[in-house]
Amino acid sequence: MPKQGQSVESCIVNELKKKQGDTVKKGDILFSYETDKASFEEESPVDGVVLACFFNEGDEVPVLENVMIIGEPGEDISALASPESPKTAQVETPKPTVETLPTISSQAHSRDAARHVFTQPTATGETKISPRAKNLATSQALDTTAISGTGPQGRIIERDVQAALQNRPKLTPLARKMVQEEDVQPQNSGTGLAGQAKSTDLAASQNAVYSVDYEDKKISNMRKLIAKSMHASLQNSAQLTHHLGADARRILELRKQAKVALDAGKISTNITLNDMVCSAVIKALKQFPNVNTHFLGDTIRYFNKVHLGLAVDTERGLMVPVIRNADDLSIIGLANQFKEVAAACRKGNVNPEILVAEAGTFTVSNLGNYGVEMFTPVVNLPQSAILGVNTIIPRPKDLGNGVYAFVPYIGLSLTYDHRSLDGGEATRFLKQIAIEIENFESFL
Amino acid sequence: MPKNQFISPDEARKPGFVEFQPIPVNQYQKTVKEERENFSDDELKAIYHDMALIREFETMLNLIKTKGEYNGTAYNHPGPAHLSIGQESAAVGMAWTLTVDDFIFGSHRSHGEILAKGMSAIHQLSDDELTKIMDSFFDGLVVNIVKKDFNGTTKELARRFLVYGTLAEIFARETGFNKGLGGSMHAFFTPFGVYPNNAIVGGSGDIAVGAALYKKVNRKPGLVVANIGDASMACGPVWEGITFAAMDQFKHLWEGDMKGGLPVIINIMNNQYGMGGQTCGETMGYGIAARIGAGVNAEQMHAERVDGYNPLAVIDAYKRKRQVIEEKNGPVLLDVLTYRYSGHSPSDASSYRTKEEVEAWEAQDCIASFGKQLIDAGVAMQADLDSIWSDIKSLIYDMFLMSINDEISPVMKNPEIIADMMFSNGSVDSFSDAKPDVLQPLEENFRVKKIANKERFAFDSEGKPFSKMKQYQYRDALFEAIMDRFYKDASLVAYGEENRDWGGAFAVYGGMTEALPYHRLFNSPISEASIIGTAIGYAMCGGRVIPEIMYCDFLGRCGDEVFNQLPKWQAMSGNVLKIPVVVRVSVGSKYGAQHSQDWTSLVAQIPGIKVVFPVTPYDAKGLMNTALQGTDPVVFFESQRIYDIGEQFHKEGVPTGYYEIPFGEPDVKKEGKDITFLTIGHTLYPALEAAKILEEKYGMSAEVIDARGLVPFNYEKVIASVKKTGKIIVASDACTRGSFLNDMAATINSLCFDSLDAPVAVLGSRNWITPAYELEQAFFAQPSWFLDMIHERIQPLNGYISGENFTDNEMIRRAKHGI
Repeated sequence: MPKQGQSVESCIVNELKKKQGDTVKKGDILFSYETDKASFEEESPVDGVVLACFFNEGDEVPVLENVMIIGEPGEDISALASPESPKTAQVETPKPTVETLPTISSQAHSRDAARHVFTQPTATGETKISPRAKNLATSQALDTTAISGTGPQGRIIERDVQAALQNRPKLTPLARKMVQEEDVQPQNSGTGLAGQAKSTDLAASQNAVYSVDYEDKKISNMRKLIAKSMHASLQNSAQLTHHLGADARRILELRKQAKVALDAGKISTNITLNDMVCSAVIKALKQFPNVNTHFLGDTIRYFNKVHLGLAVDTERGLMVPVIRNADDLSIIGLANQFKEVAAACRKGNVNPEILVAEAGTFTVSNLGNYGVEMFTPVVNLPQSAILGVNTIIPRPKDLGNGVYAFVPYIGLSLTYDHRSLDGGEATRFLKQIAIEIENFESFL
Repeated sequence: MPKNQFISPDEARKPGFVEFQPIPVNQYQKTVKEERENFSDDELKAIYHDMALIREFETMLNLIKTKGEYNGTAYNHPGPAHLSIGQESAAVGMAWTLTVDDFIFGSHRSHGEILAKGMSAIHQLSDDELTKIMDSFFDGLVVNIVKKDFNGTTKELARRFLVYGTLAEIFARETGFNKGLGGSMHAFFTPFGVYPNNAIVGGSGDIAVGAALYKKVNRKPGLVVANIGDASMACGPVWEGITFAAMDQFKHLWEGDMKGGLPVIINIMNNQYGMGGQTCGETMGYGIAARIGAGVNAEQMHAERVDGYNPLAVIDAYKRKRQVIEEKNGPVLLDVLTYRYSGHSPSDASSYRTKEEVEAWEAQDCIASFGKQLIDAGVAMQADLDSIWSDIKSLIYDMFLMSINDEISPVMKNPEIIADMMFSNGSVDSFSDAKPDVLQPLEENFRVKKIANKERFAFDSEGKPFSKMKQYQYRDALFEAIMDRFYKDASLVAYGEENRDWGGAFAVYGGMTEALPYHRLFNSPISEASIIGTAIGYAMCGGRVIPEIMYCDFLGRCGDEVFNQLPKWQAMSGNVLKIPVVVRVSVGSKYGAQHSQDWTSLVAQIPGIKVVFPVTPYDAKGLMNTALQGTDPVVFFESQRIYDIGEQFHKEGVPTGYYEIPFGEPDVKKEGKDITFLTIGHTLYPALEAAKILEEKYGMSAEVIDARGLVPFNYEKVIASVKKTGKIIVASDACTRGSFLNDMAATINSLCFDSLDAPVAVLGSRNWITPAYELEQAFFAQPSWFLDMIHERIQPLNGYISGENFTDNEMIRRAKHGI
């Protein structure tokens, strides 16, 4: 298992594309795997036959551990075999209904924050139901798998079944018999007397209200990380958001010019509004060093350079790759790098090192493309603040001398950790971004 | 304590000495020759015959136990056989002068006494009387077996009847005297005055005294003999029985024809061993057992030692002692010296005595030496004696063959009928034809008058409670039921500690002293074994009796009587006996660890006792009426917390007239639909409080059922309730571990499993000592504990925080630590 980045200790095998006995050629994909934030594919380094495979799909494998052995048939592989096979760092994640809680090996308690080990069961274990509740459910042909019990230790008791029955139309005797015998459930309210569900109201289970219309899926490692860090952010910091608009006429004009220049072949990079906003942010950050910080509890870490994170929406979930030393870059350089990392993120082979929150000093999240007018981005701890960029909408503006006009404004939403920054400074910083946007220097 | 007896300090403090009279030891030394004018030759030969009959009977049993055969016929008898070979003269001498009106009670070693007393009855009864007894016993079942192909005289038939009935009983045959349910150690035959023998050492020591009490109170002819061993003199209940028998009040306080001592003879069958322990020189200190009489009363119990090796000496003693009894100077203590050659039981290797000792006694064998005297005196020739022996041997062999014949003498084919024998379930107004002895008409009694002015329902028309003084109380309800029976049944007596004058420790009997003569209501010694033991003897003879145990905690003091005697005798007698004993037991509180225990579970565990525990005046009166109308032993529990409580449930009030409440029917005290509380005893009241809180705060409606009793118990109402509610807590004041509540919970779990929304919850007291009153709320089930239990184990209550810890882990922890 390759080591993907300094802080990665283990990876999860997603898919084994070759199994024991398969013949492989150099360059064939052996297996795919993922770290906390990215997924990768491992190619076969040689031609040969898969002599052994020590892990199963879903196993968490410590890095540098042998996953497979490729060689010639009959070769002695005993020296290469994993001493304890399969040597997983953790047992499999639980299936939807498990009987025992997953036990976690001591390795799972590693101090490394980058490793997120799933410790809670997804299901509550065996469903407990009292005989009375069970009988009632059976007689009423009610599926109890969707009911969560309120009795001692989560036992489903009569009142839970009663409550579930309340949410389902009463059944005619014929309908009840059909429900008991076939996999059908009444749909919405019944058409019979007093809303009773008749046999004709029955259909295969799909109604969300009282039937099982969902499927439990294991969440990806990445989802787990996002869930954990977002939850931690809201739990552990004092964040609030200021909203402010900036006159966008200048950057819109520059954008128009850039497009013309690109079409004319004068520049090779498409400079977007986002690139310009980020550039403005970098400039503002240079003037507000208190914002370009990590809040670490007892201390605040001030950075000399700006390492700018950019939220990227991918199929696998939100990713925030970081452009290191962004303040050293021209807007063209910045734009190029953004495009590069965003593409890597979407492809799933980004360097995990630049994905961790600690790598960046400030983050920009741009939802303007989607028409979002205002939102409250969540601070990417330990960073002190994050800027949400909104869509551009025309707003009336006093142009002086009693002249009012509709002017395009770009919305800026700054969420900051009040532990780290006070409102005045945050506001001044936000205002500074607006000033930088409104007075953006031509790059052409 | 009676006021008419003045304890003068001047008298009590005077100096002086306690003086004793010499106790006669083996003073009778006469031989057959010297007694010929007092006995006919036939009588003397009959004495010899009876002794020989016992000897051969037990020799046969000994051979079966040790060799597995008798006269070449093999038989395996797995049951007990405690033999008395060597003691025959003591048994025959004891029984010789007794009539069928005289009752004997025995021990585990009483085959000899049964045969001796039976033969004595056969000698005395006319042919007609014998025929009548035999024909009516089990509808002629036994006599028809021995009559078949037999052409002898009625007396000879009666002898076959006696030997066969006893032997078939020992061999556990359905044709035995007690349907095979008594066996060797419990065989008896009351028509001949043979009352139960007892497998518990000294068991007859108090029961026989109760029989004597019955004879006295009910003016029945005859005396009672307690045949107990020398070693049983160490047993507490024997001493208690003797103490009871010797109470001064019989001679000092009882009035009219009732004045005078009890007609009882404590007959120590002194074979000088208690199993292997030598009572003289090893396990006792009395030297000569007759000495004990000197410590009991001024008459020294008329005690003497008699040479039981000489039947004539024992007969002589009984003639003289009958005189003492008839002069109302009982009780009497006889120390009848004897010796058994046979071991304690067939497994006894006699390792505790020498061969020389046994041989020395055998050399003076009571039968051989009496036979020699008969020949010496010219009463009989050796040939006569030989023919007695050959006649007996063929009789015993015949009866042996019949009793082991599975066709003639089957073992109970359908043991299910034992179930029908556990209770007699009779309904009897009165066990006596006599007019009840009372001192005043019932309506003139001051307590009766006082109760007449009381409110028989606790609340007025607006639902406000009357004052405590105005309310008809629980204790009044018991008083009414018991008084009613006192005026109906002349045989009814009641006694216990402080029952007279004081009116009972809890004032149930207040007013009875004025209404009843001493012999119907009296104070007993503070000795629970004698209180219950004598009551059993009283009931066995046909009387109704209410013994009282002041605190439930004192039940331990009469453990054998309550656990081994009271419940067993109806079934062990094959339903020959009825035991109409209503034991009143008061469950205490406030008085700490040895005065506040609810032991209902202990009693309910023993088959053969009906157990009730009413906690309302209506139930108390109705159930006491039922108990006193019945024919079974009842342990009637009462709660000291509520003797003053009024009737809160029966809106019509407690009826003034007679009514019965059938045993075993629980009563719904409050209807509800969401949860059921089933309570035993006083816990009904905390349960009702809990129901109120539950309704007001959590919108749950509780159905509260009062068990009213434990045995018998009809679960139907409970099942119906649980089917409705799906949830149930069973609760009482008894410590949780081993509580009857667990029995109920298991039964309800079994019967209502499909209806249950949670496992049946058991709510008892903690498994601790009962602490002081100030700490009782930490020990007994409190109203809040019901809510805790619901929240933790049945259905979590919204926003509720438990006070008591009823979690799984706590249950495991407590069990692990035995607390």
